[in-house]
Amino acid sequence: MTAHTPVQDAPPGWLWRTAALAWLLVVIAVGVHQWQFWKHDGIDTDVMALLPVNEQAPDVALATEQLVGQMSRQVVVLLGASEWADALAAVQVFRQSLATGAGARLREDPIAQKTSMEAALGFYQPWRERLLTPAQRAMLAGTPDAALVQKALQDLYQPAVQARLSDWVSDPLGLWTQWWAARGAQSQARPRDGELWVAADGQQWAVLQFTLEGSAFRLSGEPVLDGALQTALAQVRAKWPGARMVTAGVPLHAEAAAVQANWEINTIGWGSLAGVLLLAWLAFRSLRPVALVGVSLLVGCAVALSVTALFFGQVHLLTLVFGASLVGVAEDYGIHYFASRQGAPARSPHGLMRALMPALWLALGTSAIAYLALGAAAFPGLRQMAVFSVVGLTAAMLTVVCWFPWLDRGSMPHSPVAQSIGQTLMAWPRWRHALPGSVAVCVAMALLLWLLGGLRAQDDVRQLQNASTPLVAQQRQVGEILGLPSPAQFYLVQGNSPEQVLQREEELKDRLDALVARQLLVGYSGVSDWVPSARRQDSDGELVARAQEAVFKGVNAELGESFARPATPPPAPITVQAWLAQPISAAARPLWLGECDGSYRSLLMLRGVTDLASLPALAGAAQGLEGVAWVDKPAEISALLQRYRISMTELLLLGHVLVLAALWLRFGRKAWRAWMPTVLASLVVVGVLTAFGAPWQLFNVLALMLLLGVGIDYGIFLQEHEDDPHAWLAVVIGAGSTWLSFGLLGLSATPALKAFGLTLMLGLPLVLVLAPLFRSATDNKEH
Amino acid sequence: MSAIAWTKRTALGAALCALALSATAQTAPPATPAAQDLLAQVRQRVHDAPVVRGGFEQLKTVKGFKQPLRSSGDFVVARGKGIVWHVLKPFESTLVVRPDSLQSRGSDGKLTTQMRAQDEPVLRTVNAMLFAVMSANLTELAQHFEVTGQVAAKGWSLHLVPRDPTLAQWLAAVELQGNQFVQEVKLQEARGDSSLIRILTPVAENALRPQDAAQFE
Repeated sequence: MTAHTPVQDAPPGWLWRTAALAWLLVVIAVGVHQWQFWKHDGIDTDVMALLPVNEQAPDVALATEQLVGQMSRQVVVLLGASEWADALAAVQVFRQSLATGAGARLREDPIAQKTSMEAALGFYQPWRERLLTPAQRAMLAGTPDAALVQKALQDLYQPAVQARLSDWVSDPLGLWTQWWAARGAQSQARPRDGELWVAADGQQWAVLQFTLEGSAFRLSGEPVLDGALQTALAQVRAKWPGARMVTAGVPLHAEAAAVQANWEINTIGWGSLAGVLLLAWLAFRSLRPVALVGVSLLVGCAVALSVTALFFGQVHLLTLVFGASLVGVAEDYGIHYFASRQGAPARSPHGLMRALMPALWLALGTSAIAYLALGAAAFPGLRQMAVFSVVGLTAAMLTVVCWFPWLDRGSMPHSPVAQSIGQTLMAWPRWRHALPGSVAVCVAMALLLWLLGGLRAQDDVRQLQNASTPLVAQQRQVGEILGLPSPAQFYLVQGNSPEQVLQREEELKDRLDALVARQLLVGYSGVSDWVPSARRQDSDGELVARAQEAVFKGVNAELGESFARPATPPPAPITVQAWLAQPISAAARPLWLGECDGSYRSLLMLRGVTDLASLPALAGAAQGLEGVAWVDKPAEISALLQRYRISMTELLLLGHVLVLAALWLRFGRKAWRAWMPTVLASLVVVGVLTAFGAPWQLFNVLALMLLLGVGIDYGIFLQEHEDDPHAWLAVVIGAGSTWLSFGLLGLSATPALKAFGLTLMLGLPLVLVLAPLFRSATDNKEH
Repeated sequence: MSAIAWTKRTALGAALCALALSATAQTAPPATPAAQDLLAQVRQRVHDAPVVRGGFEQLKTVKGFKQPLRSSGDFVVARGKGIVWHVLKPFESTLVVRPDSLQSRGSDGKLTTQMRAQDEPVLRTVNAMLFAVMSANLTELAQHFEVTGQVAAKGWSLHLVPRDPTLAQWLAAVELQGNQFVQEVKLQEARGDSSLIRILTPVAENALRPQDAAQFE
C-alpha cells in the first residue's frame, strides 16, 4: 500500500484505455459547448439572483418577481443645475452626447410628452362626480350644508386662483380639480417646458428616463453604461461646471457588479493559477507536472462551467467569482500524484495511480459532501456554486486518474525544495496524548466562547448585497427627490374578482390614512386610487350629489340664481380593464398584477417611509384584513438567513459525524486522528472571529462546512501515507495553493464571499499545522 | 433599484397638477428689443415699494350665472412676503398667498383651503406669478407671458399671453393697466369666465403694519 514497498506493477489494462478515451470524448464535447457558451454569453448578472426565493409564500415571490421584472431595464437620470434654464439647455447637450456610442443602447422614454391630459380627462369625464379623495370624502361627510354653501360662495368671490377643469355649474365645489391634483401629488416631478422638472437640494433637476436595449451584459469588465453617462456629464460640465447628475436603475447596478466580478474572477482565478503553477514548478522542477496540473484545472473549470450552464440555463457572475477559487482546491489531486511519483520513481504510473486512488476518492468524496451541503440552502446562487464546485473537482480528479498515467512519461527530476519541504515532516512533533489533550482543548475553547458571550449572530440581508455604495446612495437620492415609493416594503392584495381586490385595497387604505395622519408615512399608491371599487364609486357619487344639491340650493337663495342638478342616471362603474387600456394608466399599471389561477392581485406601495420604527404599525395595518399580505422584503430575507444559519449549523455538526463515520470505515480506531485537526481549527476560527467582534453569519457556517471538506483531506493523506514526506509535500503544496485561492477570495467586495474567504484563510493553515501533530505517536508503522 | 417604474407616474402626476393648478413656468426666451424696451419703460414708471396696500373692486363673470359677481375689499402686497386679499363684501373671506403656501379663511377665521408647496411644488411658481401680477414685477412676468403693450403719458397697459400651452389651456390672457401702481387687472379664462379687478387708492409703505404682519405669520 505504501510507496516504500517496491511493487511489480501490471501493465495498464483495457479499462485504463477505455477510461482515458471516454474522458477525452467528454472533454471534446465540453470544448464544443464552451465555444457555444462564450459565443452566446450565458452569464447572469441579475443582482437579485443570489437572494433566496420565499418558499413559504409563493404568491409573494411571484409578485416580487413581476415587480422586479418591470424595472430591470430602466435607468433614471436626474440632471441638475442651479437655474432651470441651464438645466434645460444641459439636457439637450446630455441627450446629444448619449445618442452616440455605447449610450445609444439607452433609449429615452419620452415621459414628459407621452401623457395626454385631454385624453385622460375625456376618459374619466363620465365618472366625474363619482371620484373623491379620502380628504374630500371626509370633508363632504362631515361638513354641514351651510358651511358647504359658505365655501362655495367664498370661492366665487375670491380672485381666480384655482384653475378649473370644468364649469362652475358642473362642479361648484371644485372636487374634480382637487381629485386630479391628488393624483398628481403622488410624485414631485412636474412637466415644464417639455421636460420633467423637480426642484430639490437647491437645484433645478430635469428628469430623464431610459430603457436599456439589447442583450444583457457582456463580461467585458468595462463600465460601458456608466462610461457613457459620465462622458455625457463631462460634456455638460464643460459648459455648466456646476451641473450635477444623479442616476438610478438596475442596469447600472448590474454593470457595476459585472465590472467588479470581472476583476475578482481575474484576480482570484489567474492569481491562484499562477500560484499553483509556481508551487508545482518549485516542487517538481519539471515542465511536465506544471503543464499537466494546468490541464487538469482547465478541464475541471470548463466541465464545471458547461454542466452548470446546462443545469441552470445561465451561470451567475458570483458563481464564477466563487468558482475561481476552485483552482486552489482542484489542483490537490494532480499535485498528490506527482508528489507520490517523486517518492516512488521506480513504479509505473498506472500502478502508482491504482495505489493512490483510495485516498484520492475519499478526499474527493468528503470535499463533494461539503460543497453539496452548500447547495442545501434555498439560495439559487449557492446551489450553482455547489454544483459548479463538485463538478469541477470531479472533472479535475477524472483528468488526473484517466490521463495523467498515460501522459506522464519519463522520470521525475529531483527537487531540493521538495526534499526540504518533505523533510519538515520528520522534524514535526507528535502530540503524545493527543486524544485527551485535544478533547480538553475543545472543551476549553467552548468554555472561552461561552465566557466571551457567545457568537454575535448577524442575519441582516444587507450583508448579502454588494451594490457599490455611491450607487446605492444615488438610488436613494433619486427616490427621495422624486418622492417615489420604495419597493422594499409593500402590500399584496388578492381577491377572486377585480372588484374584491379594489374593495380590500380601500379597506387597507382607510387604515393607512390614520397612519398618514400620524406621519408614519407620506402616502401610498394603488390601483384603487385610479379606479375605486364600484361600491365606493356608488357611495362617493351619492355624497357628491347630496352636497351639490345643497350648494345649489344655498347659492340660488343667496344670489337669486336657479341652478339645479341634471337628472341623469349614474353611469356603469369605471373598470380596471377599461382603465388599463388608457395611456393614463401607464404609471400605475405595474401595480396591477392581473389574474393568476383565478385570483386577482395588486400591489399597494408606500411613499415616504423613512423610519424603520414605523414598519410594525404598517405590518399591523394588514392584520385581520382578508386577502391582504404585508411584504417586508429585507425582513423576510433576513429571517430566511437566520433560519438557514441555524439549520446549516445543525447540518455542519451532522456533517462532522458523517465524515467521522466515513473515516472510521477506512481507518478504524485511528479515524479521529484525521478528523480532530479540522475540529480544532474550526473551533479556533470561531473563537478568533468572535474575539475580534466579527459578525457571525450563514456564510461563516458554510465556510466551516468547506473547511470540513478540504481540511479533512490533509488528515486523510497523512493517515493514508503516514510519515511519507511525499504525501506531506503534496499536502503542503495543496494547502498553500488552496490558501492562496481563498485568501484572494477574501478580497472580494461581496460580503458573503469575503466571509468564505476569510474563514478559510484562517482555518486552512491551522489544519495544516495541526494535522501532523495527530500522527500516531509510535515509531512503528501501522497499516 | 427601486423606484424607477414610478417615474412614469411622475410624468402623469406632473401633467395633471400643472393643469389643475394652472401653474407652469416657462423659461423666457430672449425678449425682442421692442419688448425689452417696453418693459424698461414700464419699470421706470412703477413705484417699487416694499409694501403696497389699497382697496379693490372685483367683477367676475361666470358662465351659468345671470348676474356678474361683484365683490370688494382691501389688500396688502408685501415684497418677499406675499399677498393678503381680504374680501369684505358680500361675504367676508381672506386669501393669504405666501411664497410657499396658499390659505383661504372664512369669515369665522376657519381654514377652508390650504395648499403647501412641499405637497404641491408648482404652487411656488403660481404664487410667484400672482405676486408678479399684483406688483407689476416685469422680469418675472416676462418669464411666463408673451408681453405686448404701450406706454403713454397717463399710464401703461400690457397684454400678457401665457407662453406655456398648459397654462394657456386655463388662462387665455391677462390685461394689466397702471401707472405708478397697477390699476386694473383683467383675467380672461379660456373657458369664457373672466374677472376684472380694479385697484383703488393704492399707497406705498416702507413696512408692514403690525396687524398685517400677523397675517403672514
